[in-house]
Amino acid sequence: MPQRCRPIPKVPTQVPGLDEVLEGGLPRGRTTLVSGGPGSGKTVLGLEFLCRGAAAGEPGVFVTFEEGAKAIRRNAMSMGYDLPALEKAGKVAIVEARFDGEEVLSGEFDILGLLSIVGGQARKIRARRIMLDALDVLLRIFGDLRRERNELYRLHEWLVKQGMTSILSVKAHSGEDMASQYEFLEYMADCVIRLDHRVVGQVATRRLRVIKYRGSGFGTNEYPYVIGEHGVILIPVSKTELTHQPLGPKISSGLTRLDAMLDGGYRRASCILIAGTSGTGKTTLASTFARAACHRGQKVLYLNFEESQEAMVAGMCSAGIDLRAALRARKLLVQTALPEALGSDNHLLRALEAIDTFKPDHMIVDAISACVRMGSERAAFDYLMRLVSVVKERGITCILTNQISGMVGGDEELSGIGFSSVVDAVIQLRFVETDEEIGRKLLVVKSRGAAHSNRRQPFIITGQGIQFPGSPPPSGRVRPSGRKGGRK
Amino acid sequence: MSKSLIVKGRPGKVKRGHYLFRLFMAGAGPNSRQALVNLRRLCKEYLNGRYAIETVDVTKDFEAAVRENILVTPALVLVAPGPRVVILGNLSDQPKVLAAIRLSGSES
Repeated sequence: MPQRCRPIPKVPTQVPGLDEVLEGGLPRGRTTLVSGGPGSGKTVLGLEFLCRGAAAGEPGVFVTFEEGAKAIRRNAMSMGYDLPALEKAGKVAIVEARFDGEEVLSGEFDILGLLSIVGGQARKIRARRIMLDALDVLLRIFGDLRRERNELYRLHEWLVKQGMTSILSVKAHSGEDMASQYEFLEYMADCVIRLDHRVVGQVATRRLRVIKYRGSGFGTNEYPYVIGEHGVILIPVSKTELTHQPLGPKISSGLTRLDAMLDGGYRRASCILIAGTSGTGKTTLASTFARAACHRGQKVLYLNFEESQEAMVAGMCSAGIDLRAALRARKLLVQTALPEALGSDNHLLRALEAIDTFKPDHMIVDAISACVRMGSERAAFDYLMRLVSVVKERGITCILTNQISGMVGGDEELSGIGFSSVVDAVIQLRFVETDEEIGRKLLVVKSRGAAHSNRRQPFIITGQGIQFPGSPPPSGRVRPSGRKGGRK
Repeated sequence: MSKSLIVKGRPGKVKRGHYLFRLFMAGAGPNSRQALVNLRRLCKEYLNGRYAIETVDVTKDFEAAVRENILVTPALVLVAPGPRVVILGNLSDQPKVLAAIRLSGSES
């Protein structure tokens, strides 16, 4: 094993999440190879690297072997970077290095012309960074492996001598054996990153993996990423070690009787699951909390996968829960989306962006049972696990509703896709049929660390919200029992 | 910093029946020198005084390479008569070069 003397100098990419994986950034003054299929985001990654560099006082050259300079500028514009302005300011230079296909080949040649052009532009703007996009297109002209390697070697030597931090991108199809395709390039480069763009369960997912990093450690997992409006974003990975905030103080559920049943209310920063069959009042119970919290001046983010904001507001209005004031005061933010409209990664990104900008105190996901439609049960599980993990880290209370089939089951069935370990409290809603009527009952199945009621409490949904008729039932209580709160 | 061996001026001013070549070289690299040797030989054999060769050293004048989109060296550009032709390589394959610049068969 080679001894690591001192950490090698690195250049932060500032791509959200990527620097953590690269333990600081790309190797300064060295080469990084990025390979991936069409549409995997190689160009976007390079553009971000250069544009963020330009902002940080490191000008850069973008060499494009495939797309025209116009297409590159358009691409950058869609990410919010004004490339022409950066070019005018001498912070970025684009070199369009495309063969027109009409050239006649006769005898040996080398890429010194290209290096002169690139070197000249780099000197002009004092470039510190360089992106060589779609290098595979350049290599095609050499035809044989020996010449290709000679020129690659020449290119690599030249790049290192220039002292610029460089990214070389090559197209690779995930089906093929990438290792042999660009073996020589991977061997030369100091850092190798593979982007993978695949379709699982009819939903596109992207994964990033670092293959090697000379002289540095790196995260070895496959990291999901998305290409959003602001470029590439790596999604925080579900953490196995729990760095969650401890449960906070009690906060009112919006219902005095339920607060009493919960021994004071929900715990702030906890994860509460409301499970029940269709029509038992899950959305009503969650909205009751939302309105009460907003009324106290707290902010609630409501992710609704079931209905539009208008339908939800109208529905709750008729149940006496008016959410309009909270919406007007911008205390309540409702984000709606059809689960199947986006991949789970994009859903997560949307939610994380809302969390970042809106900074809610509480979040409601209605309903987690719909998340399976994001692609697969696995995708839904990943989505929820990562989402809950993030909100818990930030001390945000999280209410999940779950529509269950109505079969009698334990916690597993209540939490649906088997992540009851992150759930701190479970409330079950149920229809109860007698000869005369169908009524609703509420049961606190578990509430971690609280002496909660163990009685099924009848309730009705009126035009003035949820009401508990009659006197409270004789108090039977479950004692706090550490991590495994439950029914006795 | 292009060095014109015979004529200067725009392609339009090249005399009818005359050939103007622009050879892009990278310093004095072996392939580049070989290309110049091969080109001179070809011109002497087939064009008998009806030609001009302009050489451009891309290591000194990268802007010229940008203008003509020359990425590899050596590269020969037939400037006139049009249409423009680009030949990459040290020009070792004379029949191919002749065909490309539309000279094969027309001269003995």
